[in-house]
Amino acid sequence: MENFRYLKPAAIDKALSLKKELGSKARFLLGGTDLFIQMDKGFVVPETVIDLKGIDELKGIEKKDGYVYVGARVTWTQLIESDLIRKEFPALWEASDIVASVGVRNTGTLVGNICNAVPSLEGGSPLLAYNAAVLVKSSQGEREIPAADFFTGVKKTALADDEMVTGVKIPVKNGKFGEVYVKMGRYEGEDLAQAGVAVVVDDKNNYRIALNAVAPTPVRAEKAEALLSGKKLDESLAEKAAELALESISPISDIRSSKEYRLHMCRVMVKRALMASVSRMETGKPALNTRLI
Amino acid sequence: MNHTVKFNLNGSPVEVQVKSNEKLLDVLRDKLGVTSPKFGCGVGECGACTVLIDGLSVRSCITFAVEVEGKNVVSLEGLQADGPTKIQKAFIKNNAFQCGFCAPGFVMSATELIEKNPSPTEEEIRHALAGNLCRCTGYKNIVDAMNEVSQENKEEGR
Amino acid sequence: MKEELKVVGHNAVRLDILEKVTGAAEYTDDLAFGPNLLHMAVLSSPHAHAKILSIDTSEAEKLPGVHAVLTGKDFPEKFGLYLKDKSIFAVDRVRQVGEQVAGVVASTYEIARNACKRIKVEYEVLPEIHDPYDSIKEDAILIHPDLGNYEIEPWLDAQPGTNIAHLRKIRKGDVEKGFEEADVIVEGEYHIPHVAHTCIETHISVSKFSMDGRLTMWNSTQSPHTQRNIMAHSLGIPHKNVRVIAPPIGGGFGGKAGISMEVMAAAGAKACPGHPVKLRWTREEEFYNSSQRTGLRNKVKMGFKKNGKLVAIKHQMFWDVGASAEYGSNVVNATGFSATGPYYIPNVYIDSYACYTNNPICSAYRGFGYSEFSFGIESTMDRAAKKMGFDPVELRKINAIKEGEGVAYDVPMNPNGLIECIDKVAKEIEWGKEEKSDDPNKIIAKGFASVWKAPAMPANESSSAFIKFSEDGSINVLVSGMDLGQGFLTAMAKIAAEVLGLTLDKVRVELPDTDRNPYEWQTVASHVTWSCGNAVKRAAIDAKNKILDIVQRAHFIDKSQLYLEDNGVKCTTQESFFIPYSDFVITGIQTEHNTWIGGPILGSGMFMPEYTNAMVNPETGLGGHPMVHYTVGAGAVKIEIDKETGRIKVLKMAEAFDLGKAINPDLAKDQIVGGFVQGMGTALWEECIFDEKGKMLNDGFTDYKIPTILDVPRDMNPILVEVPQPDGPYGARGHSEHTMIPVMPAVANAVANGLGVRITDVPVTAEKIVMRMGKPEFMEEKK
Ligand SMILES: Cc1cc2nc3c(=O)[nH]c(=O)nc-3n(C[C@@H](O)[C@@H](O)[C@H](O)COP(=O)(O)OP(=O)(O)OC[C@H]3O[C@@H](n4cnc5c(N)ncnc54)[C@H](O)[C@@H]3O)c2cc1C
Ligand code: FES
Ligand code: FES
Repeated sequence: MENFRYLKPAAIDKALSLKKELGSKARFLLGGTDLFIQMDKGFVVPETVIDLKGIDELKGIEKKDGYVYVGARVTWTQLIESDLIRKEFPALWEASDIVASVGVRNTGTLVGNICNAVPSLEGGSPLLAYNAAVLVKSSQGEREIPAADFFTGVKKTALADDEMVTGVKIPVKNGKFGEVYVKMGRYEGEDLAQAGVAVVVDDKNNYRIALNAVAPTPVRAEKAEALLSGKKLDESLAEKAAELALESISPISDIRSSKEYRLHMCRVMVKRALMASVSRMETGKPALNTRLI
Repeated sequence: MNHTVKFNLNGSPVEVQVKSNEKLLDVLRDKLGVTSPKFGCGVGECGACTVLIDGLSVRSCITFAVEVEGKNVVSLEGLQADGPTKIQKAFIKNNAFQCGFCAPGFVMSATELIEKNPSPTEEEIRHALAGNLCRCTGYKNIVDAMNEVSQENKEEGR
Repeated sequence: MKEELKVVGHNAVRLDILEKVTGAAEYTDDLAFGPNLLHMAVLSSPHAHAKILSIDTSEAEKLPGVHAVLTGKDFPEKFGLYLKDKSIFAVDRVRQVGEQVAGVVASTYEIARNACKRIKVEYEVLPEIHDPYDSIKEDAILIHPDLGNYEIEPWLDAQPGTNIAHLRKIRKGDVEKGFEEADVIVEGEYHIPHVAHTCIETHISVSKFSMDGRLTMWNSTQSPHTQRNIMAHSLGIPHKNVRVIAPPIGGGFGGKAGISMEVMAAAGAKACPGHPVKLRWTREEEFYNSSQRTGLRNKVKMGFKKNGKLVAIKHQMFWDVGASAEYGSNVVNATGFSATGPYYIPNVYIDSYACYTNNPICSAYRGFGYSEFSFGIESTMDRAAKKMGFDPVELRKINAIKEGEGVAYDVPMNPNGLIECIDKVAKEIEWGKEEKSDDPNKIIAKGFASVWKAPAMPANESSSAFIKFSEDGSINVLVSGMDLGQGFLTAMAKIAAEVLGLTLDKVRVELPDTDRNPYEWQTVASHVTWSCGNAVKRAAIDAKNKILDIVQRAHFIDKSQLYLEDNGVKCTTQESFFIPYSDFVITGIQTEHNTWIGGPILGSGMFMPEYTNAMVNPETGLGGHPMVHYTVGAGAVKIEIDKETGRIKVLKMAEAFDLGKAINPDLAKDQIVGGFVQGMGTALWEECIFDEKGKMLNDGFTDYKIPTILDVPRDMNPILVEVPQPDGPYGARGHSEHTMIPVMPAVANAVANGLGVRITDVPVTAEKIVMRMGKPEFMEEKK
């Protein structure tokens, strides 16, 4: 790995002004579970690495004004250990709990995950299904990018060179809801997703379905959602919706799976996730820790 | 860029000169003589290099040495001031390892688990140790040993 | 004197567990070599098959910190274990992606790696071969045009002018007539991909040429003496001046048998005398440039009588040994002698071809080819059972080979407990009991396999041992077998302790150091408990005789009345007589004249099977005695399959092996568990995947998935069967490799039993199951 300049500012403004000055020559560092490996393999060669782990403002999970705010420094482990996330955002909880393994989850973050923006990313579909927003700052000011607009391609985001993601903001749901995240991996142990599905339903029969690892970016299955909208779910409806969901995705064949198997699995996973979400809503039991696939 | 990194290693303060791009695993092994964390893959996949940083298990092969400035770093060497720990004793009794190369990583991950959750269920044990690869044992004796630790802790009311 | 065993056969905590759990064990990379240490990196070929037109190292040499740059022209000689077809660095031609083309020794690894990037190599790309079927085509390009000039063991049959490095044939009985007599014939074709050992410790060597011309190597190795022999020959220095030290090893599984990258480290050291030179493989290099398991394409045809009896087998095996057959040729040889499975078959026709390809080199891997061919045999057994209306377990019992029946090369089978293994496994897995899943999407199915394996060794392989006593009556046992984790040290300690009446805490067994420890061929073939165990037993008996002799002379008691117990010498006729070892094993025994009798007690022992003979008739495979004995066993799985997703969860396993006598029953069972899980990886997920140009695409744990603690069955049942091996120490024979062999076919048989889909190419992935289910060409024939 090439040597680089390592800086660890204590204030957000300092980090932002550095980034403005250095642009793409500098990289932000959170857990480094993506960045380190990319640098080690020589895929990215930043002149400067700006470690954000000295900035206290980026810490913490907070519920405020109808939203939950997750700071950039929040690790997967902190998400898993948060009662708030476990109770109110079980799909995000399940996705977090299935990322990598403890040793990676202890340092890796949700924000780093979405900034890295690989198609398999676990953090993407829950955020899309929640209609979450990505909070962005630069020395010029700040903005919010809807999660659905944040991802622009494989490893591409809507961020400008001088911008930093400070956190994500997830609307709190009112009333009864049920949700699920399912992952297709090759086995139970650590694996990158070959497909992932997040489903959120509420008692007014609103359905939100998002998928990762089966298109260049995480995507919402809008046609399937439209079909379901306002209807009470049964098995045959779930099957139809699962079929329609396939129209929103464009999986590829790679060494992890063929395109055909990914399509097949998305059909099964969407159906199962829909059924499980509704059943969780009805029984009030968020069946965490059980893998559907 | 060069740095003088100061941190606590196994209970004692240390100071070491590193370049920004040096890996914690290499610095521990080559500069500080702490060899229990092993190189197995270098990309965070196998857990052989696991150390605890401020009590959390971390893959030292994908951590920059500069990142541990001011932190508490504990490796297997630092756990045994009073001899083998309860977890180590259980591993010994159960012949938990064969070649033993993965053992330090397992002890570290297991230590973190038991600190957080003194009497985990078997599935909790498996979930917590899933990032540590072992090619020899089939994991059976590792799980048996951890079940014993959990049971003992339960009996002791932990 | 009581005859029952005091140590052997009892459970014990393994001798090396404390050092491993406390981090005290110093693996090669943990040893300190001081600031004089240099580091080495290797430039690998991007092409699978190409001529090297030129290599320009000038830019690399200029880099500050570089001590030496090495290429093939510095080392023209070939080396290898059985067939010398390998070069230290590629000479004139590369034969696989990742082959070493040059090496750089520098003050840091970073500099060495950067220097490698500055080496310019011009290649002329040649047509490449990646499939053994292409390798044997008449017009195939020759991967080793010089095959006819290579040095080769006399029992190998290379075919110069082709890509066939070895062909082992068996022609026993009359196979055509056998098939004519058969009532049912089942044929099939199978494919096994390359898989990787994935020891968690990658290969590593630290080598040093001292100024007095001695070479010392600290290697992570299964084969210190074999490595010394090869190094001495290829460097032209006396054996006594080569010292190979084997620190604890982080896994072997055959991957660290023989010699591979260690020669590069030695070459680097030769260029930088006085400096220790370290070469440690990256995980990627470990995958593509250490060795892999042989790939196999095989055609199996088996003929049965109505009563279930096998009458004939025709088994053609086309092994993909990769770019070198220096070690893989013996996999091909050993399986050629054994590819019937553990059944008595009167008419046997086997062809076992070692096919060169431009894939990574394949050599020993736990199971030594038996996993690969047994997949086809055991799949055929199940298919035949279904076709004939037999229970698959019953059909195996009908054909199970018995003591005295002729094996494929027509030598009588050794005593064995195959039927007992089959019965015990069937009972444990509750064979025949139908089970249902609570989940309507899932079914539960069971699959069975029975297997055998013999140690694959040169006819004159051998082991030796020294035992030396210390003042306190404790002993050091010096052997050169390696504890790969299988519990070798503990087994040797127990054998010595048993003979010498010692408690285990008085015994230490040393890891190999070729300067100090006596000769051992290699720790492979699951033979060291048997072979080195015999040597240790003889060494202990030798020491015992010396002890008895001294006591007899000093105390005037006839030897026949003395016995060893409780760390000393006792007498059958005088109950109060007891001399602890600590009283005399170094100092001797004082006489009434104040003179001394005795001296430091030493024992030495050696072992070689003196009945083996590898020189069979090449046309029939008959006329020799190539294998010492077979270890037999059986395995079964209970799996849950999700019909919609194809995903398999192994719920329960049972495996039984007849290891003659369990020296360490607990540790022997651990071998079954570990081997089963390794086998399960190859059954369900593991496969080296290459692009069309031969580049390995999954050379890391990201995409080469080995089982984790979440993926293993919660219910694992290792079973030991003990039908003694007449020439084994206390009746022992090996079983560590065998434990992998039943898993691939047992899983595929379970899938066929549950869903009717017959998977003939491992791994049995969820994707294959879903994509093939219901398609007639993949569905199993039934009666
Ligand atoms: C062994 C292993 C297994 C894994 N398994 C999974 C898995 O199963 N599922 C999964 O989804 N992921 C997996 N990952 C990847 C996962 O660990 C990362 O995506 C992680 O969540 C990234 O977070 P981080 O804090 O480590 O990010 P970093 O690596 O620190 O940063 C990631 C990227 O984001 C940029 N960045 C960081 N912070 C900001 C910011 N505030 N604003 C703008 N840009 C920023 C960085 O410059 C970098 O490009 C795995 C990784 C490893 C090593
Ligand atoms: S060496 Fe760090 S996880 Fe493998
Ligand atoms: S004991 Fe060998 S890798 Fe775990």
